[in-house]
Amino acid sequence: MSNLSLVVSPKSINKRLPGDLAMWFFILAELTVFSLFFIAFAVTEQFNGEMFHAGKSMLHTVAGLINTLALITSSFLVVLSLKFVSLGKNQLTVYLLILSIVAACVYMATKLWEYNQLFVMGIDIETNTFFTLYFLITGFHFLHVILGIVILICIAVNVKKGGYKESITGFEAGASYWHMVDLVWIILFPLIYIL
Amino acid sequence: MITIKKITLSWLLLISLTLVSIRISSVIDEPRLLTFIALFIVFLKAQQIIDNFMELKHAPRKWRFILLSYIFFTPGIIFLIYII
Repeated sequence: MSNLSLVVSPKSINKRLPGDLAMWFFILAELTVFSLFFIAFAVTEQFNGEMFHAGKSMLHTVAGLINTLALITSSFLVVLSLKFVSLGKNQLTVYLLILSIVAACVYMATKLWEYNQLFVMGIDIETNTFFTLYFLITGFHFLHVILGIVILICIAVNVKKGGYKESITGFEAGASYWHMVDLVWIILFPLIYIL
Repeated sequence: MITIKKITLSWLLLISLTLVSIRISSVIDEPRLLTFIALFIVFLKAQQIIDNFMELKHAPRKWRFILLSYIFFTPGIIFLIYII
């Protein structure tokens, strides 16, 4: 082996992909699916302008805002908890994870309230094309939030047991998934509630 | 390594941009301008999450590039669909 192959630039030493490589491929697959959903929504809107305008006017923008703030805050708390677990502050990490789960529950409660309001008005997935896409996209995202909460609970239990003393790769992978859920909502929110 | 201060600033920026996007929807009447600004805000917010929350700013460049390309092309395609 030549000496040249042993030369590593200082910049490349710290360049590390957080978490597990498989999780990143999963995240890319999920983002692709959601991107196709969003593009399909935008294209369908062009052919059903009045229906989409009427449909959007029946949605609660404030509920959408609460959901956005809840998910952003939950993601922020997960990043903080990841920092503190690296410092060995397990108790604080657990508290932050519980708070992030509470924020996620605020999202779920608001979303369920929103769905209920529509059901009370007699609106469901079969009402028209707008609401079919609305329930499909937001419902699919909702399922991801549920999975994310389960992952956060598992991480919190593992931190409590002292499971991340040697490696935090699993924690990072779970956190990355949770940020992906947040990322998807950030595109979804203006597309459905604002534009 | 991303510091706690930077993460907190990023969170505050995300909150602020969310409130701005709500505000502009009631202020701007021109649909194309509203679409452009709203989707540009999406890009800014998503970039904050990728760089500071997912910590890809210090990850191998290709991974950061792949993720950023998603949040560039998806709103970009949506913008083109809306203005055509």
